[in-house]
Amino acid sequence: MDTDPERGRESDMDDVATKIIEILRKNMKDPSKAVTLETPLSELEIESLDLAVIVFDIEDTFGIEIPYNANEEVEAFATVGSVVDRVKSIIAETKASGAAA
Amino acid sequence: MTHSNGRRRVVVTGQGVVTPLGTGVDRFWAALKNGECGIRQVQSFSTEDLYITIAGEIPDFDPRERLQSKPLILADKYSQYAGCAAQEAVAQSKLELPIKDNESYRSACIIGSGVGGLTTLEFSYKMLFKENKRATHPLTLLKAIGSSASAHVSIEYGIKGPTFGVVSACATATHAIGLTYRMIREGLVDLGIAGAAEASLNWGATRAWQAMRVLSPDGLWPFAKKRNGTVLAEGAGILMLEEYERAKERGAPILAELMGYGMTADAADMVNPSIDGASMAMQMALDDAHLSPSEVDYVNAHGTATAVNDVNETRAIKRVFGNAANKLSISSTKSMHGHCLGAGGGIEAVAAIKAIGEKFVPPTVGLDEPDPECDLDYTANVGRKREVNYAMSNSFAFGGLNAVLVFGPPPA
Repeated sequence: MDTDPERGRESDMDDVATKIIEILRKNMKDPSKAVTLETPLSELEIESLDLAVIVFDIEDTFGIEIPYNANEEVEAFATVGSVVDRVKSIIAETKASGAAA
Repeated sequence: MTHSNGRRRVVVTGQGVVTPLGTGVDRFWAALKNGECGIRQVQSFSTEDLYITIAGEIPDFDPRERLQSKPLILADKYSQYAGCAAQEAVAQSKLELPIKDNESYRSACIIGSGVGGLTTLEFSYKMLFKENKRATHPLTLLKAIGSSASAHVSIEYGIKGPTFGVVSACATATHAIGLTYRMIREGLVDLGIAGAAEASLNWGATRAWQAMRVLSPDGLWPFAKKRNGTVLAEGAGILMLEEYERAKERGAPILAELMGYGMTADAADMVNPSIDGASMAMQMALDDAHLSPSEVDYVNAHGTATAVNDVNETRAIKRVFGNAANKLSISSTKSMHGHCLGAGGGIEAVAAIKAIGEKFVPPTVGLDEPDPECDLDYTANVGRKREVNYAMSNSFAFGGLNAVLVFGPPPA
């Protein structure tokens, strides 16, 4: 559940957001391009296979599992901010369930 | 009717399969006719920490029961499947064994695999890195290499001509059969055992596929609105191909004629297929067979049930067949046997040949509601009796590697 009014704003470049943008940059052809929380992934020329690589990298970095199927429309991956939100909520769920492994 | 134009004709005199629906063509075909599904919960390894827990495993394969030769009994499962399917194809062809000396160099054995002995490698790395063993099993290398299936089968039957494996992911068997067909047609050899085998279902490979996010956790439903990915499977599909006059002279059973072969590469993207590549491969196969699109009755589609394949393949079929696309019977038998990867094209070629011989189109199961963008006749859920003179089998692989075969009835 997303109740934090700060979440998703451009100014909200916390640790999770910074790490995710770092991961996105690794998979961009031109990493010097500006990336904000509002940037749609489509603008970063990230395609389905890139997304699988990015999701893998995010899972590895944060020790979480992200349910994602390339065959389905996934709105949680529309913008950089929506990815950050999704990851934060999964981190929270993972901590709550104590399933760190 | 003749389409030979003076060139050597190639016929199918034997076929063999190992599939998640069962081993042997009779069992396989009965299951296809009934619309059975061979996709089940994985039995051969633990899926505890996986979210993909289904696959098409072979339900009835005990190597000691299925195989006679000791080298094959000790081989990787992918070679065992190849050996078993080849045994069935050779027996059906009634080829006199051993192949005579003067014929052995004019015989080919082209059996491929997408990844060869991957499970052998996984096991040996586990022994080295996890169990800290000092050495791997001495047969590890011979079991793992992607040419061992072709080598084993050549040894079994004394084939001394062109013998190697081909590799093109999910188009492997179709390329192997197509190449062998061309070798026979061009006069390089007179007979060939051709196809592919795959046995790469294991924990590590499932992990790797999971990471690509293209697998369905629930089922393989080609062309359906609900489709959400493909399902891995294993098996083998092998054909015995022979030059027609030779086959006729020795009184071999002639199951079908292999009339056309087309192959292209998209040269575009590793995972997103192109309409151009797929449609050009189909067109080339039709041209090679000297058939017009309206003469084809059945297309065994690649039909993987991924979001992109099924729409792309539908568009490619429409481009090639035009108005005739609406009269075609199409089905993806993967809905029943799963995605047998490199072996898929061999197993599906057998389905296409049986469709001709049995005048029956196997169904696409799980097709309750089609994707609006997939609007052709995919023979939903129930197979259909119909005259099948000419059948096409499509294989479109990762990397944009396409191969298409066209089969027709035995020459009159």
